[in-house]
Amino acid sequence: MELFLERLISGLTNGSIYALLALALVVVFRGTGTLNFAQGELALFTTFVAWWLTTQSIPVWIAIVAALVLGFVMGALIERTLIRPVQRRNDMAVLIVALGLFTGLNSLAGLLWGSETKIMPSPFPNGLDDYVSIGGARLYFDALGVWGALIVLMFLMTLLFKKTKIGLHMRAVADNPESATLAGVRTSRVLAIGWGLSGAIGALAGVLVTPLAPQQLGLTTMFSIFIAASAAALFGGLDSLVGAIVGGLVIGVLEAMLTGYISIIGGSLQQTSALIIIVAILFVRPNGLFGTQKLVRV
Amino acid sequence: MTTIDTPEKTVAPRPSRTPKPRRRIVVEGSAKHRGIQALSALLVVLFLLWAASQPLFRVGQFTNVFIIAIAIVGLNLVTGYTGLLSIGHSAFFGLGAYTTGILITKYEFAPMSTIPVAVVLSFVVGLAVGLPSLRIKGLYLALVTLAVGVSFPEIVRRAEDLTGGATGLVIRSRFLAPPEWTGLVRAERGIWMFWLSAVTLMLVMLLARFLVRSRFGLAMMASRDHEIAAAANGVNVARTKILAFGISGAITGLAGSLFAQYIGALSPDGSFTLLKSIELVTGLVLGGIATQIGPVVGAFAVVFLPYYTASFTSGPLSGVVFGALLIAIVFVMPEGIVGRLTLLSRKVVTFLPADHPSRRKGERPPEEPT
Repeated sequence: MELFLERLISGLTNGSIYALLALALVVVFRGTGTLNFAQGELALFTTFVAWWLTTQSIPVWIAIVAALVLGFVMGALIERTLIRPVQRRNDMAVLIVALGLFTGLNSLAGLLWGSETKIMPSPFPNGLDDYVSIGGARLYFDALGVWGALIVLMFLMTLLFKKTKIGLHMRAVADNPESATLAGVRTSRVLAIGWGLSGAIGALAGVLVTPLAPQQLGLTTMFSIFIAASAAALFGGLDSLVGAIVGGLVIGVLEAMLTGYISIIGGSLQQTSALIIIVAILFVRPNGLFGTQKLVRV
Repeated sequence: MTTIDTPEKTVAPRPSRTPKPRRRIVVEGSAKHRGIQALSALLVVLFLLWAASQPLFRVGQFTNVFIIAIAIVGLNLVTGYTGLLSIGHSAFFGLGAYTTGILITKYEFAPMSTIPVAVVLSFVVGLAVGLPSLRIKGLYLALVTLAVGVSFPEIVRRAEDLTGGATGLVIRSRFLAPPEWTGLVRAERGIWMFWLSAVTLMLVMLLARFLVRSRFGLAMMASRDHEIAAAANGVNVARTKILAFGISGAITGLAGSLFAQYIGALSPDGSFTLLKSIELVTGLVLGGIATQIGPVVGAFAVVFLPYYTASFTSGPLSGVVFGALLIAIVFVMPEGIVGRLTLLSRKVVTFLPADHPSRRKGERPPEEPT
């Protein structure tokens, strides 16, 4: 029981991170209709900036805020300058631009700060004794902090989409860009804000994951998280915010349980086994769990 | 009545149906067309002879280009012509490579005789990967291929007895000596692999050309352009997609098999991760998606661009330059290099198939009603 709870906790913690990055992917997808392959590397870059700020003896919380702001600015700038000009041509062009960003940002981080792994300070108390005991399992405060961040973000996003004008505009653009434009929504600005928002969410995912990740902050840290997050976003249904969160948590828990309980999987097949289960679910629901079915006209 | 008639009178005379050809028209199959084909074939042979006489390191690079090009030709069939984005082709590449590696080291096969095994195995796995495409579409299908690409290195690492696990698999060079009939000695393995890859690439390109122009090729493109319309016109979309995946996987597996013979040492994290898939997709789009020579041009780009950006800059900066270059190419020529060149060349010369409607009209002008 104790072991089960510990696996559940670690699964939920990793899952929260996947959910955060998946949320970022979904926000972009709803606006632009593509998967942003550079999302993970964008988060990596902003996290490196946050780490660099903490080495300049700036408090970690301020560094995190700075990373979020930088994520927003970079996301919006990328949409404005790189994505929008090529988007009208076709999806492949957007894909290649994203792959270019993927390579470029990763190498830029390596160029500026070197390829050795960094130790990113955690914003939450993370000493060996900083835990509460639940049924014998240890729930560390930094795990709690990650869950808290996800819950707060969910709350803020709901407020944004349901209660504010810009949120309404974003929903309108996601639903039908042409109609939204005709109704007076400034579509281009909404798209840039959407990308900015997802950049900021990704940055949050980045600064939260690194204190937890066993390998700390390295150039490859975000890649496997990005894979899990994109699987989570697809699993939840690409255009569903709820789906991204559910998808992220499910993948996190699945990984923890499968590697924990099925010995043949062990530590080496965790991504494979999680992905296989997701593919199996896609067979039953081809548009993900919460995705909307697309109507095709001939 | 008059109000209806008057506008008709003021309408300018219709332009003649065939505007004056300002550009040259070359009909396929004509003597001129055959001449152009022969000339290009000659140029290719001259290039190969020149490339083979380069220093050994450069010859190796060219071999690598040819192998990557074969893999991209395979990817092009499924992503370019059938419209199913695959980011799991690194798995087929790896499957071909490991099949060859294991057969040579564990069962002492001759290198050449492992190729058919690798191709057949990749074909079967390709069919299996294509199966979900019946139900899962678009980016969701890309997730399925992603799963394949991600799991391949993990499975290789797991199946340690067979694959050597994370430490890798080394094929001793005495196993990889050129066959005796070539008259080449073991030290000339580089030149042997160069010609083997070049000839295979040409055969594969011819195969792809015939395939795309066949009924099956039409079916592939129809299900890419509009799946429902294609199905309504009698295309068996399911069979087309699965078979396209199978053939595509087989060709990329063939490239992997050659790669194993070329490189001689395999490791799961070396050339068979998702990054390889990204390299293949990048090469395909750079060269020109759904074009016949695009894969070759793209392969040159993905092999030589990082090499040259690394030669005048150091370390990570080359990655930045490569990324920037990639984005720049999308901005400057979104149709890919070959796609753009084709568009440009159309201003000068047009190739028409012999049974093109405009040609038939030219031969037999429509009879005037008497």
